[in-house]
Amino acid sequence: MAKEEKRRPFGMAQVIYTLLIISIVIPLLNPVGLPIGISQTTKDVYNYIENTLPAGSPVLIDLYYEMAARAELEPQAAAVVKHLFEKNCKLVFVSTITYGPIVFELLKSTAPDLFEGKQYGTDYVFLGYIAGNEPAVASLAQSIRGTIAVDNYGTPIANLTMMANIDKAEDFKLVFIVSSGTDTFGWYVRQWYTTHNVPLLFGALSVIGPSIKPYVDAKQAIGMLTGQRSAAEYETLVGRKGLGLASMDAQSFAHALILVFIIIGNILFLATRSKPKPKEVKKK
Amino acid sequence: MSVVVRRNLPQIIVALIIVLMVLFYFFYINADVSKTFTTADKALSDWAIVITAIAAIVGGIDILRYHVNQIRKREMRQIIFSCIVIVMEIIMVLLACYALSSGIAITTQPNFAWLYTYLYAPADAAMYSILVFYIASASYRTFRARNPPAILLLIVAIIVMLGNTSLGAMIWEGFLPLRDWIYNVPNTAAFRPITMGIGFGLIMLGLRLIVGKETTWMGRRE
Repeated sequence: MAKEEKRRPFGMAQVIYTLLIISIVIPLLNPVGLPIGISQTTKDVYNYIENTLPAGSPVLIDLYYEMAARAELEPQAAAVVKHLFEKNCKLVFVSTITYGPIVFELLKSTAPDLFEGKQYGTDYVFLGYIAGNEPAVASLAQSIRGTIAVDNYGTPIANLTMMANIDKAEDFKLVFIVSSGTDTFGWYVRQWYTTHNVPLLFGALSVIGPSIKPYVDAKQAIGMLTGQRSAAEYETLVGRKGLGLASMDAQSFAHALILVFIIIGNILFLATRSKPKPKEVKKK
Repeated sequence: MSVVVRRNLPQIIVALIIVLMVLFYFFYINADVSKTFTTADKALSDWAIVITAIAAIVGGIDILRYHVNQIRKREMRQIIFSCIVIVMEIIMVLLACYALSSGIAITTQPNFAWLYTYLYAPADAAMYSILVFYIASASYRTFRARNPPAILLLIVAIIVMLGNTSLGAMIWEGFLPLRDWIYNVPNTAAFRPITMGIGFGLIMLGLRLIVGKETTWMGRRE
């Protein structure tokens, strides 16, 4: 009779998980404030908005992320929105994912300082969720008023002061796509950059970053921010301490711990490999 | 239904739309033609939006039907989850209808927003966060210096991880520029052909759809 496998209540995996929780929770509760270097990629984005984007420009922001990706992407969105508002840009928020409206409300409620002194309809608007994925993005590029009649709150687009001179892709000076998916960036490259030559800025998850880098290198986007690291860097540049900076210590300690695990794993692996194998008994 | 209506007609419609979309996107003949093209292109995009919106309703009904069937099967392990899904779906739809009838945006309806923010959001975020534990335990087992390619992978992983953290910069300032170089040069070199390959694949798929060779989108042939 085969022996039943006994599950150990507290094995190696559980030790790793416990140490990882400790390494994340303690720095979150007691931030150490480790210094953060600014990467060239983030500096390029900052410099573009600061020096190249004309003040008061209309900017489209697509919030395409769900709750799972919020921790990584909301700090990016908040930092860039702060910078854009400082330049008196007119922000048109939209979402091509169903979670968009809730995500926008959460952005407003968790970072109320961003919208302080800014008036809805005059400084920013939220068009709401628009179904259709790439066709929706293409349709918006041709005419916002031709695609939707009312904003997220049911106000007719024609009644929004800010939208009087904003309707099609050519009216925008920048599109900021904050997305947890890979496809979204391709939609805007094809429907806004290639056909209407509108500059694009990407805000992506760390894991997505490598796959969209070719667009940035081909100058189809002015730059990209990836993950919490970029968010923390941008928060440092715009001088707003947010969730990005707050979680960098935790991320640093967690990564350091994972590195320790990798080193231990390799030492054990090499030690096992260097052991002489028991000689096989030749069968007669 | 005859084969013509069931198979050939959808194929002709799809082929026609692909040809039109290619014309609208790539060809500029003159301003008048371009204006006509833009109008037609916009109409096609708008149809797609309407179809997607309707597809969402169909999806909602399908989920409901699936879970009702699960309850009918009386599988005790599944029944509780199916009940939760059905109850939650009905509640959310009712709240959304109530919001619309009150003339306010669905997402600003207090009960709808509360359920979404305090029930769905933490659950979704927790599901994603759990990944970190698997990554930690997987990295311990998989990043092993077994052979030269594995050693290279290990070195790159360490550089990128240290470049992503503040601790890395404290150890050596060069980790961040080195991480950026890995991102910009070898990574882009690897991803560009993948992106181009996907592009070529899509062109081939489009051509197959135009000539009627690709039929999987219509489901199984009878």
